[in-house]
Amino acid sequence: MIKFEQVSKTYPGGFQALNQVNFHLRAGELAFLTGHSGAGKSTLLRLIALMERPSIGRVLINGHDLRKIKRRQIPYVRRDIGVIFQDHRLLMDKTVYDNVALPLLIEGYTHKEAAKRVSASLDKVGLGGKERHYPIMLSGGEQQRVGIARAIVNKPPLLLADEPTGNLDPKLSMDIMRLFESFNSVGMSVLIASHDLGLIARMRYRTLTLKDGRMIDDGLAHDHHGGALTGSEL
Amino acid sequence: MSLLFRSKRGEQGAKITRIGPIRRFIMFFVSNAQQAVGSLGELWRTPFASLMTIAVLGLSLTLPATLYVVVKNSQAVGQQWDNPAEITAFLDKDLSSQQVETFQRRVSLMDEVAEVSHISREDALREFREYSGFGSAIDYLDSNPLPDVLIITPVRDYSSSERASQLQRKLASENEVSEVKLDLDWVERLQALIQLIEDALGALAILLCIAVVLIVGNTIRLGILNRRDEIMIMKLVGATDGYIQRPFLYTGAWYGVIGGLIAWLATFLLIWWIRAAVLRVTELYDSQFRLQGLSFNELLILWAVAVGLGLLGSWIAVRRHVAAIEPR
Repeated sequence: MIKFEQVSKTYPGGFQALNQVNFHLRAGELAFLTGHSGAGKSTLLRLIALMERPSIGRVLINGHDLRKIKRRQIPYVRRDIGVIFQDHRLLMDKTVYDNVALPLLIEGYTHKEAAKRVSASLDKVGLGGKERHYPIMLSGGEQQRVGIARAIVNKPPLLLADEPTGNLDPKLSMDIMRLFESFNSVGMSVLIASHDLGLIARMRYRTLTLKDGRMIDDGLAHDHHGGALTGSEL
Repeated sequence: MSLLFRSKRGEQGAKITRIGPIRRFIMFFVSNAQQAVGSLGELWRTPFASLMTIAVLGLSLTLPATLYVVVKNSQAVGQQWDNPAEITAFLDKDLSSQQVETFQRRVSLMDEVAEVSHISREDALREFREYSGFGSAIDYLDSNPLPDVLIITPVRDYSSSERASQLQRKLASENEVSEVKLDLDWVERLQALIQLIEDALGALAILLCIAVVLIVGNTIRLGILNRRDEIMIMKLVGATDGYIQRPFLYTGAWYGVIGGLIAWLATFLLIWWIRAAVLRVTELYDSQFRLQGLSFNELLILWAVAVGLGLLGSWIAVRRHVAAIEPR
């Protein structure tokens, strides 16, 4: 699903965020990406979502080389990638419904069709019936779940999450992780960047570890959880 | 339009219903209409943010429109003297009516002459008696002091001032003619003046249009920067630049639509204002002149120009600024 080949990213000014990173995340796999802050987790996710381009190396999604994606095509790639941020990135002056429906309306759904999907998506994250609320009326955990509902509403095959539990207490964090597990169980590939090592350890999934821009562990050598290895190939 | 998962998506487990190209085509127009209405709604909810821009747009167009009306009307006045080279030939008083008739025929056969009309000395005297107010005094005259007059209209090629004066000299050299008058100067001056106003108007209109485009562009630019976060999020969830730009383009177009209406109104008011003054002037000249306002077509053109400028201004702004906002 996602393949990094010798990927390096150097920002203008000389800071090297990623250094010759190689890994392969298979379709239908759920994996964690961990490392101290500044290790390059966010940069790695941003390269997948085409918010950045690698300085050297290739990023492939589903066998397609992202270098060949032109600027004009980026929006269409992003429609297949659900992205979740620590700061939710919600439109605060729009209702929960409008926030979650946004990707659908952009893609050309009518409001009628979108309404069905939005309520299904909100039900899935446990926010059914809160369509008319504004994000400001919701708690932090609920806001995060609105962001998740928005990321999955058009059923993307690939879901990226950047510190999705960063501001939440352990109980809520676990709920969110269970949500990701449920998406994964219906075939979505999920990559979660997190520095919450305790939580990751309890989840027992493949864990990729970055340190100073290098991938020091791709989670395959000492894998506790055999399922990840036998996942379907690309 | 999935780029990366064209064949694979169905097999992923998550059930996907894709949108076909025809639906996409229809939805393009539906979402355009929604965005157009949405932009108008945005204007309606926050009228003061855009009111100044709209007013500037409308009033900027009022000035050229009003000047255009003035030029149009002075052209209409000018056209009443479209054949400036009407040559008046006063004939020798000693000529018999037979000789006058022969001379008239000879003049009408000249290549340069399109038309000759004859005012006989009797007609001239009668007219003079009626209109001059010297009625009874004229009766005391022994003989008619007025000569026969030929009014000669040259053919088109000879109606320019230069060629007409050539014809004037030719006629003056005839024996039968005592004096030839060609009153060109003031017509020339009038036309030069109209030309001057037209050129000045053109330059002014262009400057004002550029100003309007810049002002609209700047307002839209501020609107884009205000919604920077929203644009970033929309880009993150897969909105194309075109989709993000459209509401701003519609906003620009709405500025034009409303600004055009303001321009109409202001132009009407201005013309109504100067109409009284114009009527007073024309009364003094005893003229049948009526001030013409903007015709229906001209109103439509004014409106189209307003919408066009609004669109152009917003287009310049979105082209530069929407593409520059990238999600972080």
